[in-house]
Amino acid sequence: MTFVVTDNCIKCKYMDCVEVCPVDCFYEGENMLVIHPDECIDCGVCEPECPADAISADTEPGLESWVKLNAEYASVWPNITIKREQPADAKTFDGAVNKLKQYFSPNPGQGD
Amino acid sequence: MIAASEKLDHVSEDGIRRLVDAFYVKVRVDLELAPIFARAIPRDWQPHLTKMYAFWSSVMLTTGRYKGNPVAKHLNIPDIKLELFERWLALFDATCRELFDDATSAAFRIKAERIAESLKLALFYRPDRPWPPEPTP
Repeated sequence: MTFVVTDNCIKCKYMDCVEVCPVDCFYEGENMLVIHPDECIDCGVCEPECPADAISADTEPGLESWVKLNAEYASVWPNITIKREQPADAKTFDGAVNKLKQYFSPNPGQGD
Repeated sequence: MIAASEKLDHVSEDGIRRLVDAFYVKVRVDLELAPIFARAIPRDWQPHLTKMYAFWSSVMLTTGRYKGNPVAKHLNIPDIKLELFERWLALFDATCRELFDDATSAAFRIKAERIAESLKLALFYRPDRPWPPEPTP
């Protein structure tokens, strides 16, 4: 069991989660974060911290593709443990639908 | 034993320190857990206790004070067994109940059980075997 980052993180990337995560298991892409499933200890601390409500337990139904995406990119993107400024237009995209198809970038972010 | 009316009704850094200290006193005399911990921590316990204050502070108070990789740490413990997690949880819950009121103890228990389950999966889950596995003989 692990937590996963889902659609609404894309282009919001508030990064509040990385500050509270006790096990530093967030990895940064160009416009979203993911959780490394082998490092997450399921403590759930990050879930209520996310202003975009983008973090869910992987036991919730319908998240299979996000579980896969988190695992895939956590192994290639750089680790992030220190919050930076959110994107200037984060609020504009908060709540937009189907962001994966429209905006997802597979490119790595800058990391710590 | 603390009277029910004197039990702590919320989580604080001080409460976490008392919990961790009292819990590891129990662990160090427990027949099942003591040998495993004694091998991992042969001498000075204070660094481990200090780390655990930070861990539970991060989990219960979201302070981000702990930074580490508990999955990797547990993978390196020789003779670790699935059943030991149950023993750990029972002792931890008993210690919580001695110090904290029911609601606060339950909050600790929920977190501890989730974390234990995730560590158990990391250590013992094999895709080709049923989960949970049969107890080891």
